[in-house]
Amino acid sequence: MSDGDFLRVTDVSKWYGDERVLHDVSFEMDRGDVTVLIGPSGSGKSTMLRCVNRLAEAQEGSIRLDGEEVLSPDLDVDELRREVGMVFQGFNLFAHLTAVGNVALGPRRVLGLSEADARERAEEQLDRVGLADQLDSYPAELSGGQQQRVGIARALAMEPKLMLFDEPTSALDPELIGEVLEAMHGLVDEGMTMLVVTHEMSFAREVADEVVFLDEGHVVERGPPDQLFERPEKERTGRFLERIASHD
Amino acid sequence: MASATRPATVRERVAASDRSIGRLLLVAAGALFWGWLLVSWVNRWLGGVLVPIGEPLVSAAAVEATLAALPGLAAYAADAAFVVELTPQLARGTWLTVVITAVSLVVGFVIAVPLAVARVYGRFSAWLSLAYTELLRGTPLLAQLFVLYYGLNLASYVPGALSGVFARGVVWVAILGFTLNGAAYQAEYIRGALESVEEGQITAGRAIGLSKLETIYHVVLPQGLRYAIPSWTNEFVYLIKYSSLAAFITVPELYYRADQVASETFRYTLIFVVTGVTYLALVLTASKLMGRVEEAVAIPGLGVEREE
Ligand SMILES: Nc1ncnc2c1ncn2[C@@H]1O[C@H](COP(=O)(O)OP(=O)(O)O)[C@@H](O)[C@H]1O
Ligand SMILES: [Mg+2]
Repeated sequence: MSDGDFLRVTDVSKWYGDERVLHDVSFEMDRGDVTVLIGPSGSGKSTMLRCVNRLAEAQEGSIRLDGEEVLSPDLDVDELRREVGMVFQGFNLFAHLTAVGNVALGPRRVLGLSEADARERAEEQLDRVGLADQLDSYPAELSGGQQQRVGIARALAMEPKLMLFDEPTSALDPELIGEVLEAMHGLVDEGMTMLVVTHEMSFAREVADEVVFLDEGHVVERGPPDQLFERPEKERTGRFLERIASHD
Repeated sequence: MASATRPATVRERVAASDRSIGRLLLVAAGALFWGWLLVSWVNRWLGGVLVPIGEPLVSAAAVEATLAALPGLAAYAADAAFVVELTPQLARGTWLTVVITAVSLVVGFVIAVPLAVARVYGRFSAWLSLAYTELLRGTPLLAQLFVLYYGLNLASYVPGALSGVFARGVVWVAILGFTLNGAAYQAEYIRGALESVEEGQITAGRAIGLSKLETIYHVVLPQGLRYAIPSWTNEFVYLIKYSSLAAFITVPELYYRADQVASETFRYTLIFVVTGVTYLALVLTASKLMGRVEEAVAIPGLGVEREE
C-alpha cells in the first residue's frame, strides 16, 4: 500500500448542480505508482481525473500533489496543468496542427521554448511513442491508434510528473488498442506516475499497483489488482467485473 | 506523408489548372477588366500621362468607326461608342467602390473577431457583443448611413490628416458605416464557425496549461476562421453590392456615377447594364480570390474535404 506522499486524494466530493457525482473519494499514490480507476459509466471516473488537474472543481476534500494543495484557491492552475499531463478518450488533437505541431504547441507557448527547440522536443516525444515517421501528418491522416499516441506524446512533451489517462483505448478499434497500451507500458517502464481510467483488465493486472473501483461516486473497494480481480470483497465489485469480462 | 500537396509554383498551378474554353474566356475577361481599371487609375493619379484625364483609354470615335465597318456589328456601333465614353466615369467610381469595400471588410474583420470571441466565450462581454450585432443587423444599413452622415454630421469631423486622402470627407463616413455594419455580420458568421470547433480541443488546450485566451488564439481561431471562409465570402460579396448605398450619402462611387450620367443622358438601360456587369466582375473576382485563399489555407480533414 502507498504512503501517498506523492498524490493524496482525501474525501473529495463534487456536485454538478444538485447531483453529487463524487462522495468522499480517497486514494493515494507514491511516485512511480500506477493506479487504475475502474467503474461503470457515469460513476465519476472522468470527473475524478479532472479534479486532479482542475478541469473540474471539487467542492470538498483535499488533493495534495507533491506536497501542494491542488484545491487551494491560490494555486496557479496553469502551472498545475503544466505538471500534470492528460490523455483523453476522444484524443482531442488540435485538428489544424500536424503531429509535431500538436506536440510542440505546449512547449512553445506554455514553456516558452524556441520554435526549433519545441520542434526538437516534439520529435523526440513522437519518436518515443513510435511515430517518428508521421511527424508532419495531420490528425485526419492518422489512425485512431496513431492519434492517441500523438495525444500521449503531447502530454509527455510538457515533462509532467503525473499522467492522467481517461479511457485512452475505449474509442479505438480492437486491433489498434495494442499499440496504445504498448506506449503506456513504455511509460510504466520509465517509472512514470500514472492514474489511469481503463477497462483493459490485462493492462491493469500487469502494471497497476492499485485498482480503485468507483460506483456512483463512491470508492466501493480498492486494492492490488490480483486481490481485487480474483477475490473482490464487495458483491458490487464482483458483479461489475463479471460484466466487464463478458464484454471482452 | 499522405497530406494533399498543392502545386507549388505558378507554372505548376497553370499546368494543373483546367484549360476549358470557358475558363480561358473568364480569365481573359478578368485580365481585360482589371487591366482597364488599373491603367485608368494610374493614368488619373499620374495626371493623365496616357490619355487626358476624363478621356477613355481608347478613342470612342475609333471604336465606332471600326464596328460600323463590320457587317452585323454596325447596328451596335453607336451604343459601343457610348459605353466607351462612359468608361472613365465607371473606372473612377469603381475605385471608390473597391476602396470602400476593401477597407470596410478588413477593418470590420479586425473588429468582428473579438466580437465573435466575446459572444462565444465572454460573460458580460457576450451581452455587449450580442447587443451590438443585433442593433446593427436589425436596422437598415441605409438608416445607419443617414444617422452617421446627416444625423451626426460626421463628415465635418473627419480629421485633417484623413480628409486629404479622398476628394470628399464623406468617403470616410461611408467606410465607417460599412465597417461597423459589416463587423456585425462578420461577427455572426465567425461566431457560428467558432462554435463548431470541438469542445474537446479546448479542454486539451487548457490541459497542457494554455490559458483560455491562449487556447482561443492558438486552437479555436485557426480552425474557426477557416470554417468561416465560405460564409465570410458571402459577406464580402454582399458588401460589394451594398456599398452602392454610399451613393445616397453623396459618395461618388460606381452607382453614384452611373446614376449621374443616366440622369443626364436618360440612357438608363444601357448604363445600368454596364454598371451591373462591372459589379458582377467585382463579385466574381472576390469569390475567385476567396476560393484561392480557402485552398491555400486548407488543412486535410478540416472542414469540408475538397476533391483533389
Ligand atoms: N459537465 C458536467 N455537467 C453536469 N454533469 C456532469 C458533467 N460531467 C459529468 N457529469 C455527470 O457526472 C456523473 C459522472 O460522470 P463522469 O465523471 O463522466 O463518469 P464516468 O467517467 O465514470 O463515466 C454523470 O452522472 C454525469 O452525467
Ligand atoms: Mg468518463
